[in-house]
Amino acid sequence: MSRADRLRGRIRAQLGWLVERSAAERALISLASLFFAIIVGAVIILISGRVTECSTAAFYLPFTSIGFCYDPVQIYLLLFNGALGSPFLLGEPGLIDPSWSVFNFRFGFTLKETTLLIFTGLSVAISFRAGLFNIGTQGQLVIGALGTALVMVYAAPLVPAGLVGGVVLIILGLAVGAIFGGLYGAIPGLLKAYADANEVITTIMLNFIAANIAFVLVSSVFRDPSSSVVATYEIPDYAQLPSLAFPASSNFSEIGLIAGVFAIAGLYYLLEHTSFGYDIRTSGVQPEAAEYGGVDSKKTIVRSLTISGAFGGIAGALWVLMQTARWESSVPALGFDGITVSILAGNNPIGVLPAALLFGMLKGGAVEVAFQTDVPSDLIGVLRGLIILFVAMPEFFRMIGKRLLGTDGQAPDAGTTDGGDADE
Amino acid sequence: MEVMPMSEDDETLGRATADRSLRSRLTNASYIKRVLAGLAGILALLGVLGLLFPTSVAGDLSRIVFRWSVLVQALRISTPIALAAIGGIFAEKSGVINIGLEGLLIISAFAAVYLTAVLGPDTTIAFIPAIWIGFAGGVLASVVLAWVFAVVCIEFKADQIIAGLAVWLIALGLAPFASTLYFGSRDSGSLGVTIGNWPIVIMIASVAIAWVVLYRTSFGRYIRAAGENPRALDTAGVNVSRIRYAGVLLSGVFAGMGGASLSLTIGLFGGTGETMVEGRGFIAIVAYLFGNYNPLGAFGASLLFGGLEAIQIRLQQLGYAIPDTLVQTIPYIVVILVLAFVGRTRIPKAAGEHYETEE
Repeated sequence: MSRADRLRGRIRAQLGWLVERSAAERALISLASLFFAIIVGAVIILISGRVTECSTAAFYLPFTSIGFCYDPVQIYLLLFNGALGSPFLLGEPGLIDPSWSVFNFRFGFTLKETTLLIFTGLSVAISFRAGLFNIGTQGQLVIGALGTALVMVYAAPLVPAGLVGGVVLIILGLAVGAIFGGLYGAIPGLLKAYADANEVITTIMLNFIAANIAFVLVSSVFRDPSSSVVATYEIPDYAQLPSLAFPASSNFSEIGLIAGVFAIAGLYYLLEHTSFGYDIRTSGVQPEAAEYGGVDSKKTIVRSLTISGAFGGIAGALWVLMQTARWESSVPALGFDGITVSILAGNNPIGVLPAALLFGMLKGGAVEVAFQTDVPSDLIGVLRGLIILFVAMPEFFRMIGKRLLGTDGQAPDAGTTDGGDADE
Repeated sequence: MEVMPMSEDDETLGRATADRSLRSRLTNASYIKRVLAGLAGILALLGVLGLLFPTSVAGDLSRIVFRWSVLVQALRISTPIALAAIGGIFAEKSGVINIGLEGLLIISAFAAVYLTAVLGPDTTIAFIPAIWIGFAGGVLASVVLAWVFAVVCIEFKADQIIAGLAVWLIALGLAPFASTLYFGSRDSGSLGVTIGNWPIVIMIASVAIAWVVLYRTSFGRYIRAAGENPRALDTAGVNVSRIRYAGVLLSGVFAGMGGASLSLTIGLFGGTGETMVEGRGFIAIVAYLFGNYNPLGAFGASLLFGGLEAIQIRLQQLGYAIPDTLVQTIPYIVVILVLAFVGRTRIPKAAGEHYETEE
């Protein structure tokens, strides 16, 4: 009896050490993946510099006369600097631009992207933690955004205009976004739990269905005829989330970011400190063991995908509340970016914050790069995939690590690798 | 996994595969028969309804379904799906789930148009029209990306689902990126030439070849064994990794032909939104699940999806005022229904798992 207890205690200590180590290892892998993705991205920038034509080369291959139109280092500096609103004077005397202020348009744009990415990242993270590859955040975002826009447009005349009415409408809009997104997320959950339909395929199909149905609904029923694109009527000004310190043109509302931080804390608490969170985590790592231990796996699948969808829906609601003030057919691919954010974060809610900020900076910077050079902002789309590819192969980094440390360095523990891989 | 006695490896392997193939042939037969009977029933019902009520929707529908031009149209639409599905069969049968088919389609669709445009759409090089060199270039691009996927999955033991998603997202970013660089926009604009109906011929030939290779050659037996029982294959002295590489690279070849067919049939690349591929790679996955990993079955399922689309186009021409975006949604809904109610096929036992060679 006591021996069993002692054994259990020892195993638990060992496990704690493993988990800690795998968390550190994961962070390291994420950073290394980012680094390698940026290197591959640099090669792509170089190659694309051979495809386009320019009169003077920006970069010469060392020791040769092969010129390239774009210098990758320059592009990345521009990207980083641009994401912050260009505080540094690149290539000029004096390092920092005295006229720069934190509250600039471009940094606001970066933070707006960060805010939206926090929610799509959390949406992906909770499902991945449950062992479910929810690729459907994009569709849940589209449906959530549509629900928010429509309900707010039609509820606006019913509440008094002004601050109070605005607050009521915003809360209503967020709730509607969460409900619409959540219900849409429940569909693949039910299909997975009760019909054994692979969630990767169903969620991707539901993305297409969401985009098409929303488009048809708006273009044939809810369209604002005065708009040149397919879009709903706009929600009133007082019901949009305002920019407090940043310029309004950046579409960034500090309230949204604060909500995002609270959402991170909430999801972290849910996952780590509630019994439902325990069910999710164990089903993600060891589904059979979880079921054996009394976890109702069907219920867990449906619930975690519903919550995941709710976060996607809130992201859609915030997209409407901060940026567009209406649903329009050109919905940005924030749901797919969320996959990268979550994977970079090791599917950990806390990690979503730095990952979202990082990816937000990439997106903000890319716009600046596209503005100043001919490098298309689609570059971010390439980096998005590359980062996932590198994070997907921890073995690659372990091999590099082993080679660097020498063969007798820390031999990777089988337990660590198993645990690490199963989570993803 | 059971350990086999070392002495009778070959015999055991042989018996095991014979057993399994007999069993699977039986289940296959009943499954495919059921599906075929269902389809024949629907067609017969439609035909009877059409004859009885020639002026109704059923009459129009039956006239559409039994029309040669609609069949050609259906074949044309199903070509990229069927080719990608055949590729997916080779990868998954060998034990690597290739969810990145969509990415292979995207990259080959772009590369084919790009190479054709670079060479000049009207030129011929060594008597080969540029468009066919472009076609080959598209296949090559897809094979290169498939090779990266294979290295990541087999060499570095990546999670196949995540790596497959990465392949898709890389292509989804790279093709519009390159298109913007070269053509100045995400859409290439028309090349002015098309490849005609040749892809249909290529697709039908591919279906036949794939079936023969999978079920009538020793290479096909290795492919199936690598996905079902890699240990037995290993003990029989065949390198499992090499077979899996072959499976994934073949998926690159077939999906590459599919992507190149897709873009060169219309003579342009469309890169806005989800690109012109629009989920065909994922539909292909469902097509081969629906077809129970049999190239013939996958072809049938692809033709079903192509047929739905062709009927839809014809209905539009007849003046039925259904919003076309809504009708275009039907294949996606069908995919989900198939997955939920029909597609409970048995996936290869070792698919998705890494295989460590035993010393």
